[in-house]
Amino acid sequence: MRRYAILLTFLLLVPISATRGQADIIAIKAGKILTISGDPVTDGVILVENGRIAEIGTEIEVPENASIIDASQKVVMPGLVDASAVPPVRGDLNEQSSEITPALRISSALDPQSKVLKRIVQTGVTTLYVSPGWRNVIGGLGVVIKPTGPPRRTQEMIIKDDAALTVVMGLDPISGNRIPWREPPTNFYYRRPTTRMAIIWMLRKSLFDAQQYATSKDKEDPGLQILCSALEDEIPIRLNVRRAINIRTALKLAEEHDLKLILDECTEGYKVAEEIAQKNVPVVLGPFYYYPGSSSQYREGREVNWNNAGILANAGVKVALASGAQSQPIDLLTAATFAVRHGMPRDKALKAITMTPAEILGIADRVGSLEKGKDADILILSGDPLKVTTRIERVILNGKTVHKTD
Amino acid sequence: MKSRFCTAFTAVLLIVFVMSALGYAGPVRKKLAIQAGKIITIAGADLKNGVILIEDGIIKAVGTDVEIPWDTFVIEAKDKVIMPGFVLAHTSSGLDRANENVPEVPFLSTFDSIDPISSYFEDSLRDGVVAMLVLPGNNTLLGGTGTVVRPHGRTVEAMLIKRYTGLKISLRPTRNTSRMGHMQRFRRYISDLKDYLEEYEQRKADAKEEKKPFDEEIDTRKQPMVDLLDEKLTAFIYCDRAADIPKAIEIHKTHELDTVLVLGSDCYKAVGLIAKSKLPVILPPQLIVWETNEETNEEEMKIIPMIFHKAGVKFAFQTDTSQYGSRYLWYQAATAVKHGMKRTEALKSITLYPAKFIGVDDRLGSIAVGKEATLVFLTGDPLDAQAWVDQVMIAGEIVYEKAKDERLKKLLEKPDEIQVPEDTD
Repeated sequence: MRRYAILLTFLLLVPISATRGQADIIAIKAGKILTISGDPVTDGVILVENGRIAEIGTEIEVPENASIIDASQKVVMPGLVDASAVPPVRGDLNEQSSEITPALRISSALDPQSKVLKRIVQTGVTTLYVSPGWRNVIGGLGVVIKPTGPPRRTQEMIIKDDAALTVVMGLDPISGNRIPWREPPTNFYYRRPTTRMAIIWMLRKSLFDAQQYATSKDKEDPGLQILCSALEDEIPIRLNVRRAINIRTALKLAEEHDLKLILDECTEGYKVAEEIAQKNVPVVLGPFYYYPGSSSQYREGREVNWNNAGILANAGVKVALASGAQSQPIDLLTAATFAVRHGMPRDKALKAITMTPAEILGIADRVGSLEKGKDADILILSGDPLKVTTRIERVILNGKTVHKTD
Repeated sequence: MKSRFCTAFTAVLLIVFVMSALGYAGPVRKKLAIQAGKIITIAGADLKNGVILIEDGIIKAVGTDVEIPWDTFVIEAKDKVIMPGFVLAHTSSGLDRANENVPEVPFLSTFDSIDPISSYFEDSLRDGVVAMLVLPGNNTLLGGTGTVVRPHGRTVEAMLIKRYTGLKISLRPTRNTSRMGHMQRFRRYISDLKDYLEEYEQRKADAKEEKKPFDEEIDTRKQPMVDLLDEKLTAFIYCDRAADIPKAIEIHKTHELDTVLVLGSDCYKAVGLIAKSKLPVILPPQLIVWETNEETNEEEMKIIPMIFHKAGVKFAFQTDTSQYGSRYLWYQAATAVKHGMKRTEALKSITLYPAKFIGVDDRLGSIAVGKEATLVFLTGDPLDAQAWVDQVMIAGEIVYEKAKDERLKKLLEKPDEIQVPEDTD
């Protein structure tokens, strides 16, 4: 009886360990590897083990038990990093009961079942930053996730929680104000700021409160606690600004309080590129507009320049290209392709969708380039990434193929 | 004295007439030759280091071994790719308002509404479009007739290529009506029209019998629909959803119309019906749509041009001016090529096919002897985003030069230094 039991255990163990050994090592034979962090590698090999890059280079011995992905005629590059994406969340992104809500976390509303994740993966994005909406002056905390989707649980998607605090200086908080009509005037839609002055005053007041709070004895307000962390540079501030005048105010405010800023959208950034560069503030460019249109956000960046990204990058600003939390996600490769068309240097445009956003989000040790020890988030492309006719043929996320075209 | 004044006046009139007939005021060179690095003829194979001979705006010869006559002005474009200008088979942009409030207005014409100074036309020329059919929008049952224009000229008359082209029929119900009511309205209009025509013919016959002169003309408000039934006008039937396709095909068959289908983004689901009908098709501007597979509950990417290409349907692309790439016809073609469409076929879908659909393929759509010298000079391959339209030639005259495009310069270059006010506090 006991002998049988041992035999049975043995029989059970063998196939498990065998499949494990096979599944865990993947060798990608690539025609061209765009490592982003260094020079491109021709005819290289990437070894993937336990979801991470174990080896990368030209003279690498492929282990016998490795499963091989032949991409010898293809171009391989790191998975894309979208520094401002549509959150995979059901329901509204804006908490309307107050315009100062620093303690809210978008991570508590993430939905791994969201269909958005699947779309995001197919456009080659393997890491994304999502944040609460832009209707509040201080919206809450954003999170960096990977679009793994079901059957993963929310916690497994998150790679960095409390990644940044969303603050809005643009006119979005105004747009929610609504005069009560056949409803009590205490309606909370009728208490929002109505001017740019008020937005900035609310922001200054909150920072002042946080400073007071830092020196006081009773520490019980979670919102102010988070603002204190932001004041102490523990949490970076993602500041949504569009017009040049606002960008200047933001830079001034950051100087006064010694804040760690990241500028979002920055439609008129090209006008103040030198000032942004001087203050060493990184920029996450949002949706691209050809001409001013009719929607409210748009009206704010009245004067567009198609080469916003290029002008900022050439001035020495760290520029990330993002889809800009649009409901119709713009694919990042297209964004980079057109940035180059409009004048951004090619290498900077490729970095702007990989390494630069990873650095801005503070996760460059894990994603953003193909280097030994980093996460195996890899794209296999049919050709040059900045050609419209190139297609993404395979997306590998944490060492597993999550999307493949036939 | 009086007669001399008359002669002078006539001469001035004549000059003005000739100028306006040409459409532009600049001098047109009679004989031209273009030495091109590459010619994408569309009509045949691509030519490397080819020559295009042009006389009076018409292509006289194309080839690699064409001899250039001594009296010809030569345009050197050895670093350029030259191809026929892009043709847009359907647009409702550049109008002050695309839709009339009343549902049955076949007698209206976009000619009266086109705004020559609209930036839409300037942009179109910059993007290499040389001809476009401007039709009424998709919100009116019988919206009116279209106008083929080139996006160049200060007046609609100067822009005009062809008036009275195509009649827009939209199967999308107007606001506050149902699909049932919408279709019924159409049927009733046609039956009323047929009654009217019958009575008209009767009156004509009666007059003949009584040997009376008959000078009654057909009601001008009905004329476009009569021409539609006589196949003198092409029906551009807009189908909002796949369910509208069978209705469009039914209309096409019962009334024996000359039909082009203008599709909404949902219509790919009726690709089988469309392929069987063999009707020409204009694809929606959004080429990629996502749909949830009901069985697996997975999101699936639908690539519309590939669905139609695989079914053997000939189509033309449309553009959407607000979208990143899809504002460019070449980008639409490149997207299709990315997903597996044959390059030559994709290029035809932005040149020759739309030209055919709007009835200007005798002049435009390819580079061939006898066609108009309406060409784009590109700095690289048309499907590459890094290539720009460097020059546009319309009927032998260069009408756009990127180097002289001040607006584009302003959109791409760094603005002049802005004075930063001194901080006083």
